Amino acid sequence: MTKSFLATNRSVLVFLLVLSLFTLAVTVMAEATGYGLISTSFVKTLGKTLCLCLIAIAMDVVWGYCGILSLGHFAFFGIGGYAIGMWLMYARTEEIVAGSLANQPLPATPQEVSDAIGTQIFGVVGSSDFPLIWSFAHSLPLQLLAILIVPGLLALVFGWLAFRSRVTGVYLSILTQAMTLALSLYLFQNDSGLRGNNGLSGLQNIPGVSASQDDVSIWFFWASAVALGLGYLLFAFVTSGKMGSVIRAIRDDEARVRFLGYHVESYKLFVFTITAMVAGIAGALYYPQAGIINPAEIAPIASIYLAVWVAIGGRGRLYGAVIGATLVSLLSSWFTGGSAPAINLGFYKIVWTDWWLVLLGLSFVVVTLFFPQGIGGLFDFVAVKRNSDYGPSEGAWRAEEGKPE
Amino acid sequence: MSKRLLEVSGVSVTFDGFRAINNLSIAIAEPELRAVIGPNGAGKTTFMDIITGKTKPDEGKVIWGEKSISLLGMSESQIARAGIGRKFQKPTVFEAQTVRENLAMALKNKRGPFDVLFYRKTANGAARIEALAAEIGLSDQLTRVAGELSHGQKQWLEIGMLLAQDPRLLLVDEPAAGMTPAEREQTTDLLVRAAKTRAVVVVEHDMEFVRRLNCKVTVLHEGSVLAEGSLDHVTQNPDVIEVYLGR
Repeated sequence: MTKSFLATNRSVLVFLLVLSLFTLAVTVMAEATGYGLISTSFVKTLGKTLCLCLIAIAMDVVWGYCGILSLGHFAFFGIGGYAIGMWLMYARTEEIVAGSLANQPLPATPQEVSDAIGTQIFGVVGSSDFPLIWSFAHSLPLQLLAILIVPGLLALVFGWLAFRSRVTGVYLSILTQAMTLALSLYLFQNDSGLRGNNGLSGLQNIPGVSASQDDVSIWFFWASAVALGLGYLLFAFVTSGKMGSVIRAIRDDEARVRFLGYHVESYKLFVFTITAMVAGIAGALYYPQAGIINPAEIAPIASIYLAVWVAIGGRGRLYGAVIGATLVSLLSSWFTGGSAPAINLGFYKIVWTDWWLVLLGLSFVVVTLFFPQGIGGLFDFVAVKRNSDYGPSEGAWRAEEGKPE
Repeated sequence: MSKRLLEVSGVSVTFDGFRAINNLSIAIAEPELRAVIGPNGAGKTTFMDIITGKTKPDEGKVIWGEKSISLLGMSESQIARAGIGRKFQKPTVFEAQTVRENLAMALKNKRGPFDVLFYRKTANGAARIEALAAEIGLSDQLTRVAGELSHGQKQWLEIGMLLAQDPRLLLVDEPAAGMTPAEREQTTDLLVRAAKTRAVVVVEHDMEFVRRLNCKVTVLHEGSVLAEGSLDHVTQNPDVIEVYLGR
């Protein structure tokens, strides 16, 4: 048709506008670039929230649109974080080591430098040798590539095996969860080569950058906003038009789609892989703002949270996922951060740090039972009401004829 | 003269010891309209499952087209792309999507994920959809969500989706189930028109409907062919009378 993609997808324009205004507002209020109304740590929280929104829209595409309830997308997020974290830690340690070795009377040999970096990084797990997976840690371009390729490849192989065997529904969810758990347990081991349960730390320090954290935080905030905007555009493109039609059809009745001549497995694989890659990007932007990544971040519970955000925000609409992720993750940090006022019932005092999970669980149950459209569904009431009549039309299957399916 | 399009020969299927199809052999020409009838459990739906790749037979051959390709090694989607369309007993359209979207999805085009991702709507495609909608009597309903359609309209939409695939062989499972008499009549017309240019196999156990199709009839019983010929011919066959009325 003649209409451009954006003209036919108004909600994308609205979203991009809101995102730009939000980014502008935060920039004006940040310490580094504006009036200092919001603290650097809150800028980081907001930046991290944008990354969580990005993985939430990826989850919405894979679950809300394509019907694959993946409980493994946080693993891809974590892999992205580890990939960038390895370079950050290596390059940063290299700087420090170079600084301390510079005072020696004799210049250090490359072997000595390497050993010193190894001891610095792997001392905590009682080792000083670089494991094989650190082979490319010295190279920023290669580690950046790994952010895309490692989650993409893992999703491709895992998805190919699972979809080819026609594993669907709850069994697929269990499989993805098992994958996540296996990865997290593996990373917990000291000899996994990624510092076991210590994880990678000091990621907020960008090697070769002497700017303060005030500046760095707003850079990452901007980068996260741009990534979210581009991710939203990408997924809006994928879920619109004919591709979106086929993906939603697979969610609703994949056998029928197969008989239409579509190779359903390829489509699922495409969606699974592309969302895994975007999850990797989101993770790579998140962890430098968090400063630390450890295997607990990859634990299955994180991926379950992700599903909860999307369900509360509203499945099957990208802005719903953004609303859910923003609302729940910000509320979560408010409640668990101890700033929420405790409620004193006289006989019992509700302390939110303990009760937040109960509240979240309850809201999840209430939303799934009574508002399956989630918060995003509220927008349907604002939108123009349909004026068609839903009554049985001429010749419709009536009660006497049998149970309508 | 019409040529042979599909040949099913010596096919047997067993489910947990129950022989659903027993040494079944049927040949379909192009163009042809064929009705397959038989009592419940005669293996009508299993017969379609085998052709469309949903069920793999234990033995026998299913040969397709001029090049005599075996359909047995192919997946459901490959078989569909080879030119076999199937309509299910229960109307299965994508209820959350509009009639236009349903038809557009079925329209004969490249089926690869990247072909579909970068697919651009064409005037030609739009015209095809309009023509199909007119054919199935849903021209005014293109922008409606398929879930809002009546039962009969859903059946037609599904037949329209089949036609959109432009298959050489159409397998139609009980198209008239749950339809009003007027709707049945329109459905028969639709199928008879479709069978002018392609092969259409209609599975049905409503004799009145089959009579209106006015075509060659194959009677299935306990998984194999009991009789074949015109409806009047097979209804006079003592075996058929025995199967339908005897018990």
